[in-house]
Amino acid sequence: MEMQDTTYDKSEYVETASGNKVSRKTVLCGSQNIVLQGKVIIQSDAIIRGDLANVRTGRYCIISKEAVIRPPYKQFSKGVAFFPMTIGDHVYVGERSAVSAAIIGSYVYIGKNVVIGRRCVLKDCCIIEDNAIIAPETIIPPFTRYGGSPGMEVGSVPECQQDLMIDFTRSYYQHFVPARIL
Amino acid sequence: MSYIILPDVVHYACTCGILKPISKLYFCRHCLELRCGFCVCHEADSHYCDKCAENLPSSEARLKKNRCGNCFDCPSCHQQLSTRAATVGPKNPDDPKAAPRKVFYLLCLLCRWSSRDVGIPDQAAVSGGWPERENIYAHRLQEIQDMYKAIVLSDKQQKLDKDKKKQRRYMSFTDRTGITASMLRKRIGWPDVPNPLLKAKPTELNNKAIAKEEVEEFPEDLLTSPVNLSLATTMEQRLVQPEWQPTTIDKLFPIHKHLSVKRSQRCRSCEHNVSKPEYNPNSIKFKIQLFAYYHIPEVRIITVEPLRAGKVSELLLKFSNPTQHQTSITLFPYKVDDVIACEDNRTEVISQSSEEKGSGSQPSSITHTSLTRQPSITIKPRPIKTRVVADVVVPNASFVLPPRDDAAEYDDSGDAHNIQNDPKIVVWRKSNKAVIKLQVTPNSDLNIGDEVTTAFTIQHIYINTITTVENKEPQKCEHKVKVFLTLGNLVGGS
Amino acid sequence: MPIYEGIGTITDKLVVVMDIGAAYTKLGFSGEFAPRCIIKSEVLCKESGIMRNIRDYKDKEDLYDLLVDFVHVLYFKYALLSPKDRPVVVVESLLCPTIFRETLAKVLFCHYKVPVLLVVPSHLVCLATLAIDTALVLDIGFSEAIAIPVCHGVPVIHAWQALPLASQAVHDNLRTALATHNTGVTLSDWNLEDVKVRCCFVTPQKRSIEFQKSTPNLTPCPEVKYPLQGSNSIIIPGKVRETMFELFFEEDNDHQCLSTMILDAILKVNVDLRLQLAENIFLVGGTVMTPGFKARLKEELYQQLNNERYSKLKIKTFKFHSPPCKDNYTAWLGGAIYGCTELLSMKGLSRETYLKENRLPDWANMKDNLRTL
Repeated sequence: MEMQDTTYDKSEYVETASGNKVSRKTVLCGSQNIVLQGKVIIQSDAIIRGDLANVRTGRYCIISKEAVIRPPYKQFSKGVAFFPMTIGDHVYVGERSAVSAAIIGSYVYIGKNVVIGRRCVLKDCCIIEDNAIIAPETIIPPFTRYGGSPGMEVGSVPECQQDLMIDFTRSYYQHFVPARIL
Repeated sequence: MSYIILPDVVHYACTCGILKPISKLYFCRHCLELRCGFCVCHEADSHYCDKCAENLPSSEARLKKNRCGNCFDCPSCHQQLSTRAATVGPKNPDDPKAAPRKVFYLLCLLCRWSSRDVGIPDQAAVSGGWPERENIYAHRLQEIQDMYKAIVLSDKQQKLDKDKKKQRRYMSFTDRTGITASMLRKRIGWPDVPNPLLKAKPTELNNKAIAKEEVEEFPEDLLTSPVNLSLATTMEQRLVQPEWQPTTIDKLFPIHKHLSVKRSQRCRSCEHNVSKPEYNPNSIKFKIQLFAYYHIPEVRIITVEPLRAGKVSELLLKFSNPTQHQTSITLFPYKVDDVIACEDNRTEVISQSSEEKGSGSQPSSITHTSLTRQPSITIKPRPIKTRVVADVVVPNASFVLPPRDDAAEYDDSGDAHNIQNDPKIVVWRKSNKAVIKLQVTPNSDLNIGDEVTTAFTIQHIYINTITTVENKEPQKCEHKVKVFLTLGNLVGGS
Repeated sequence: MPIYEGIGTITDKLVVVMDIGAAYTKLGFSGEFAPRCIIKSEVLCKESGIMRNIRDYKDKEDLYDLLVDFVHVLYFKYALLSPKDRPVVVVESLLCPTIFRETLAKVLFCHYKVPVLLVVPSHLVCLATLAIDTALVLDIGFSEAIAIPVCHGVPVIHAWQALPLASQAVHDNLRTALATHNTGVTLSDWNLEDVKVRCCFVTPQKRSIEFQKSTPNLTPCPEVKYPLQGSNSIIIPGKVRETMFELFFEEDNDHQCLSTMILDAILKVNVDLRLQLAENIFLVGGTVMTPGFKARLKEELYQQLNNERYSKLKIKTFKFHSPPCKDNYTAWLGGAIYGCTELLSMKGLSRETYLKENRLPDWANMKDNLRTL
């Protein structure tokens, strides 16, 4: 099925020179620590906690509504330290998902209502199904599909996932258009 | 973008007769046929650990019973275990200079199981040297195994001897010369000793197990003591450790993480690889990637008008050309000719297997079968069972799709291609994509709510860039593929 | 052949041993003393997205597809090797349906190109773990209990006894018992098995007799609060915990139960062997592992001896074997011992032969019994 247009209110979104589309209704804490490489969409009510540590995304990332991106922490004997979080290219984060991974590779699809525990590593080309709960410090290898609670491997991903995700995020970006004013 | 989340609505018919979305199909460039996971031959390529992403040579993987030496899974919830560090005070508390020692233990961050729970001592090194458990019956079983090996071997030897004797009765080459091996041995004064293996008499069944009258007594405390479910293990927890199958949680020990394997896929009819991943476990690249998604035009449904039985609806389809060459697409109506084709194939299979019978000249021992590449048996394609319940009027003209051009994504100047469009068919066109308008008519005998499936055959020009000895030029060929579209449910009214 | 394969591994062969049971499949390699994995015999159905047991097949083609998927999981998730390089030993029951074994052979030979296949009968091979050749083997698995005497290494098939008294019967029993005590709660198969494994046991005979009275004069064992999803939980009464396995020992309309199966099987063999069989009883299968089961079966056997039917047996004692492994994979272990001997090359069915014959040798087929006639 071809993707349908997703419309947004033009007054709500800010479009930067590099093509990032960021909603004004988001909570971007510590915005000086947040780097968006370009053509990234951050939708309304998403939260990115740049105040805890650096957050860096690749190109063509989509952070859906009410998603939370929170850098991971690690407990030491003398207290807690936060670590930066990097997200690769062509990554989709579904609605109301809370992501606290250390590294998210490229071409990763994260479904809706997912919880990704702290310091997880999501390698390239993996899929996290809707409503999955991934335990902290889990490493998810490439080309696997995780789902359930607690998250377990439930299947595999087609080998052409890279191009599927490129196509998906690109067309999402192309179909993410301002609503026409009638 | 249906392949990741939405249900698949466009299916391609693989050569073997199974319908799959294009993302799960392969295209063998050598036979020019579609293949799918069912009709390719899977092979294990390289072993690696999911967690530490370390490659293991297959001999080492075998030695470690397909398990990683360093990573562990939680025996309670089967998630990955993390190594935690703890500091313990110096051995001599009076000496203030002594640095605190670091020790490590395993902890599950999901269910909070830890290696301390079952009394595994903390380790001084990160990688551990965690205690391994032995099968308590290993010694006895080894004995039994060796005994059976010896028995069967002597059995085999006896049989061979019998055959030899039988042979000798009728014909012996050494008899003709008047000298047998044993005679020769006697003559030169050697003892008459045949194969040493023969001499090894089987250790008789002397270490038989002895049956006992006593059996496991009934555990009386079951009747009185209340059951604490949190202390009894579940079936899953027992079965992940088949050797021990602990019944109580105090006997759960960390499990070495099971390895994974990278698979390569091989076409069954021409034995060429259609997919071969790179060696590195983290790599998502392929050495060979003949995925249909890169070679076959992709069809997507854009919109379809509400479907009514017997009424014409307009269907918009988007075709895109993934290859680096211009292609031309022609549509044909779907024909149910598979039944006859299938009958033909059945006889073919039989004839082929009889051919194989004929070519029995090649040596047929176990070792050889694994080393020589045998001709594959073609499994007959199955008839496609999906019912096609709507007719599509296909245009009798073909249309051209330009090659894929990644740079065009950044080019907003519009189309540079000068293609004459038939406005009746092509509605819209951009770079390697075109939208086609078709008329679809669901059968008039359908009920409201029925799922409507239609099908047609696409023929596209495929430029084969493989250079063979005979022809160095890329070859042009026409390839046909059947496409099935699930259009949605029938609606009522007029 | 994969290029990363070391030379060393090709020379000494690694034989895959599989025992595809009705509920659980045991998979491992010959020469090892425990299976690598024991997994549920089910695969994910791609169309419906639910797990389907491979024994719930509709027809031959459906079974073929299920087995193709299942064997794929076995090889590429657990065994981690290419099927076409390795011989396979399949442990199966002598009463395995022909359609199942033929389809399995077809899947292994045609789809996975296995070079050599050796099919061994489970009742015979489990004796290999004891190094004996005469015993009465009672296999209580998921769907049925099968008793077959094995005498001097030959299964006496005409003396076979089978009853549907196994895990599945217990599950059904448990489902109805729990439904009466907890109205409105439907338990999944997984829950039922879990309740059975973690809460239920086989009670001694004297308590069982007491329970059958209208007013049992005993205190049942403590009840268990079994948690379900969320804050829900069900109560499992003590009586249910104790009596779920009683159906194994209650004689049905034909006066048959587990204990009579053993004695009937003994009755059907030659007089000379009867005493020997009674003193070599071997219990295998997962259900045997239930706490108290073996003790109860022994009690029941002695009780049955008083019965007139069995008075001519003149049996004084019953003796039981305990295998050097867990009861639920004894048959697999036997297959693994057979698999590491030369028997594979002597008796194994090679792919060429299979393609020529297009069938599997079978004891029930007269074609394979010509020699003995």
